[in-house]
Amino acid sequence: MARMQKGRDPADVLIIGAGASGSVAAAHLARAGVDVVCLEQGPRVDNAEFYGDKPEWELMAQKRWHPNPNVRDLENDYPINTDASAVNPLMYNAVGGSTILYAAHWQRFMPSDFRVKTLDGVADDWPFTYEDLEPYYSRMDEEFGVSGLAGDPAYPPHRDYPLPPMPIGRIGMKAAEGMNKLGWHWWPGPNSVPSRDYRGRNQCVRYGTCLTGCPHKAKASTDHTHWPMALENGARLVTGARVREITVDAQGLANGATYIDRNGREAHQRAGIVIVCCNGVGTPRLLLMSASKHHPDGLANSSGLVGRNLMMHPYAAVTGTFDEPLESWLGPAGQSIQSMQFYETDTSRGFVRGAKWGVMPSGGPLGLRAAYGGKALDEAWGANLHRNTRKVFGRSFEWGIIAEDLPDEDNRVTLDPELTDSDGLPAPKLIYKNSDNTKRMLDFHVARAEEAMEAAGAASISSTKLMRDCGWHLMGTARMGDDPTRSVVDQYGKSHDVPNLYIYDGSVFVTSSGFNPTGTITAIALRAVEHLIENRSHAKAACSHSKVMS
Amino acid sequence: MTTVSNEERAVFAELADVLIPAAEGMPAASDVDVQGAMLDHILGLRPDLAEAFRRGLSAAAGKPPADAAEALNRDDAEALGAIGIVASAGYYMTPAVREVIGYPGQENRPADPDETPEYVANGMLQQVIDRGPIFVPTPEA
Ligand SMILES: Cc1cc2nc3c(=O)[nH]c(=O)nc-3n(C[C@H](O)[C@H](O)[C@H](O)COP(=O)(O)OP(=O)(O)OC[C@H]3O[C@@H](n4cnc5c(N)ncnc54)[C@H](O)[C@@H]3O)c2cc1C
Ligand code: SF4
Repeated sequence: MARMQKGRDPADVLIIGAGASGSVAAAHLARAGVDVVCLEQGPRVDNAEFYGDKPEWELMAQKRWHPNPNVRDLENDYPINTDASAVNPLMYNAVGGSTILYAAHWQRFMPSDFRVKTLDGVADDWPFTYEDLEPYYSRMDEEFGVSGLAGDPAYPPHRDYPLPPMPIGRIGMKAAEGMNKLGWHWWPGPNSVPSRDYRGRNQCVRYGTCLTGCPHKAKASTDHTHWPMALENGARLVTGARVREITVDAQGLANGATYIDRNGREAHQRAGIVIVCCNGVGTPRLLLMSASKHHPDGLANSSGLVGRNLMMHPYAAVTGTFDEPLESWLGPAGQSIQSMQFYETDTSRGFVRGAKWGVMPSGGPLGLRAAYGGKALDEAWGANLHRNTRKVFGRSFEWGIIAEDLPDEDNRVTLDPELTDSDGLPAPKLIYKNSDNTKRMLDFHVARAEEAMEAAGAASISSTKLMRDCGWHLMGTARMGDDPTRSVVDQYGKSHDVPNLYIYDGSVFVTSSGFNPTGTITAIALRAVEHLIENRSHAKAACSHSKVMS
Repeated sequence: MTTVSNEERAVFAELADVLIPAAEGMPAASDVDVQGAMLDHILGLRPDLAEAFRRGLSAAAGKPPADAAEALNRDDAEALGAIGIVASAGYYMTPAVREVIGYPGQENRPADPDETPEYVANGMLQQVIDRGPIFVPTPEA
């Protein structure tokens, strides 16, 4: 049994999780003069720990910097039972959260994404529109330092990005030529990597290793974009603090959280308001772990929807190999160009909604080997290894397809009855499968992307219909809405059940869209936290000392 | 830290040459000494590979290397996988090999942000713009 430590000074606001959403919330609350503590289970990461600028990069990408916590198996990770899941969830657990490893594709949702019920008769509409969120998108572009080109006809006109676009490279030019032949949409992809030095971060030098951490302190991970501002304004960040329970007082208000530090000691952090930012898997896990006599099914779970409607964006890839050298290891990675040609619903295709495509570089020679497991020896090795490397290495790129994954209550996060993390806390168990709509969508999109590769002049094309290690985007498990029986939080992330408990991470998504979500997660977090700050005089809080109340 | 014996290195070198032979103008794995200091370096960075790696070597000891590799591929894919990673990682990390395949490593090659992109200058992007908006607007409430 862990020893209970003396608690720290109470805070106005406790944030749990220092990832994308938690960092934005901490920075803005601290700047508004609110006393904030953030508990984060992982450590701070030093950019020198990354291997992107070293020859060992690909070797270490397969283990130490793998995006699947079950493969990495670090102490700051928790294991996840994926036996009943078609897709592995991916994340990083440290200050900066999953932005430490994200590819920094910086996307907005399209207007239709917020109105899928009205337009397509599926799932639910969001409680706000694209237009409501638009000003927050622009501000997040600014704070993250997004490099991109305004004017994409896939969106209503919006403010220009703060930085000029990153180069699309030879791979982007090839892909774009193919799209123009077909008359299909493409646009240089916006990336949250700076094309010039920007607010303490360095200009991206195109290592192309963004997915295993940026060694150059260029990429917009939130340890660099938001924690400096939060700390300068007095936010307190506690690392190595794994929260096991959000505690609730006799009035039914959240009054803090109990956590375990890296010496195995238990402590309690008191606070007036609690904001959960643990991501689409960590948040439902924590709410379910916080079950008590008054909340037997988990905290904030009177709707029964905590953990349900998990969405993880099934991902397909169409890879083309070209006769000419394309330097396809060059970054950012990051995306070169994107296409929303087949994003909007066309029911004649046999499914609703669609997918975003993005061109990505293909890395070094070792990564190419990863797909060869289980093949005949002489197919993968021997003289064929040299032939394949000569043919493919530096000459191939992929159209990656992010399919919109509609919410389904049976796709869910629960607590595993046996598996635990290194502190003995129950691990999450995922139950997740793809719907027929998704399968038809992937078939259609893969066929079109093969046509796009052919039009670009690929000498050979190969496709993967569903990658297992593709759960980069974790959404939907504490959805927002106006109706407390059909949602967990309101449009500002406030729990319907516990009026001083908030959720700001990707769990609150109503639908998934077909876009990388972090631009939207952070815009929603900003909108929610500014609403909290503006309405601080009315906000319910558990501690009488709370300045939030004043 | 795993200490690898000279016998194990010899078995590894033979297996590595089955996987990565001198062919197609490329050197064999043992030509670039994957069994030497590189092997220790890799196992130092990836201790998780050591057990399966050594299991594969002990199963292969004393057998003709091509037969041993086939047997491992059939009976102990994890061991062959570990041997394959150690061999190919060491091979492709070697500067001489990188030079032959034209790989400078992940490069520090910043771009000039003020340069007009080629796709703007040559009108490629204009074709996309000329086709007009492709989004469905927010429906009226
Ligand atoms: C490899 C990879 C590539 C990606 N690429 C892109 C991309 O290109 N574009 C894009 O938009 N998105 C991308 N994503 C997704 C993006 O990283 C996430 O959407 C985003 O980081 C989610 O933000 P969040 O605040 O919901 O959670 P996270 O950033 O995951 O942060 C959650 C934090 O909570 C902490 N935590 C969890 N449980 C506890 C607990 N009990 N106690 C204390 N702390 C806890 C975790 O340690 C973690 O630091 C990628 C993700 C990965 C893994
Ligand atoms: S491509 Fe740019 S952002 Fe990505 S890892 Fe390299 S320097 Fe960092």
